[in-house]
Amino acid sequence: MSLLREKILSTASHLFQTQGINSTGVDTIVAAAGTTKMTLYKYFRSKENLILEVLEEGHKDFQAWLSEKLNNNTSQPSEKLQKLFDFIEEWVTSPDFRGMGFIKASAEFPSEASPVHQLSSEQSRQFKQYISSLAYEANIQDADGLALQLSLLFEGAVQAEQMIRGSGSMTYAKKAAKILINGATTH
Amino acid sequence: MDILNSTWLIKMLSKANATPQGRMLSLFDILDDWLNAPQLNSAIAQQKLLSNNEGKPLLIAYLTEQAIACGAANPAILAEHLMLIARNAAQQSIQDPNCDSLAHGKKAAAALILAQTPTTWAPLSLLNKSLNYGIAASLIFFLGATILISQALIQNHRHQFNIAKTSHPQLAKPMTADYKPKTSLTADDAAAIYAKYEQMRNGTCQFPEALQIPDKDKAVYLDNVVGGKLPSDVGDLAIAKFYLEKVRCNYTPMLMAHSK
Repeated sequence: MSLLREKILSTASHLFQTQGINSTGVDTIVAAAGTTKMTLYKYFRSKENLILEVLEEGHKDFQAWLSEKLNNNTSQPSEKLQKLFDFIEEWVTSPDFRGMGFIKASAEFPSEASPVHQLSSEQSRQFKQYISSLAYEANIQDADGLALQLSLLFEGAVQAEQMIRGSGSMTYAKKAAKILINGATTH
Repeated sequence: MDILNSTWLIKMLSKANATPQGRMLSLFDILDDWLNAPQLNSAIAQQKLLSNNEGKPLLIAYLTEQAIACGAANPAILAEHLMLIARNAAQQSIQDPNCDSLAHGKKAAAALILAQTPTTWAPLSLLNKSLNYGIAASLIFFLGATILISQALIQNHRHQFNIAKTSHPQLAKPMTADYKPKTSLTADDAAAIYAKYEQMRNGTCQFPEALQIPDKDKAVYLDNVVGGKLPSDVGDLAIAKFYLEKVRCNYTPMLMAHSK
């Protein structure tokens, strides 16, 4: 990837997270990245394409970070499921946390016809599927049901934390997740 | 109308259940009913759920009130989190009506309430006065009887305990001091026993005499069956469930019962 393209992508990502997607104009992005509109459109064709790329990159980074954490720190499938919320809490409470891309984008682009909304929904589904695969590995009978419960808990906690920093929502979500996982394991 | 911020929803929640926990959880049932109402256009429903994305002050205020009433550690966050789970689950239900997202959301919400509150979901003070008098009478009677017929009582307890052992597999293990599994209740367990308390509260119930309960089970019986407190672990839950089965309740409305 060209250095300039990468610079535009990381600048846009930072601005979207801190100022919101709709309220960040292309002018602001090019000014902050030290480039021109023409260069931005050369690489991304439209603001919408830029948003889609930012979302894809962000989600890839998050999934890679989470998988690495889980694979390096746990070996048992059931342990992975338990540890999932520990790592998410670590991430959500870090000073750099600015929210979750697909959750923010979905709220800013509520129309189902919007490609940004569609990608956000797809990423939410992928995350649920990831939890589901961990639950299957851990031999949980209703793996999909548990994955849906945990993803609802997780997305709600992230949204609450996005609204009120330091809310502690993830701490309670973690406790609740443990109750749900224990319940699903014993059935 | 923004359904999640409507006075209609608050009215429905207020009359849905007798306890704050129950009222918070009925949010999911009410939304499910609303989404399954005939001729509801899913696009309009989606729009209504997403409108005013900044906040739902009416619902948040109501849920915060309920969270305070049930002793939540952080009522404001619990209220916000429950609203978000309900909204996300409702949105998913519109996109995929077969995924049961509101039922799963309710389970997640029950676990979240459990994580934020002490394990007392139906305090003794909420039970009716006659039941309290009944408990007091049972205890006085039990103390007197213990002094007078202690030997006979021990025999009686042994007999009762043997019946319990044979009819309930979880109680078949010896009820010694070391039999105290400390596994926490699951959200399903809590919801099931809570539903039982709710059901009993709608009837006139006859509890077994405390006198007939083996000493080892007495604390659990009084706290978790008569007192309506949520058991603290699965061991107590098994004992509580056994004695809950022995409670006889009449659910005939008072007026009908008197007219016979």
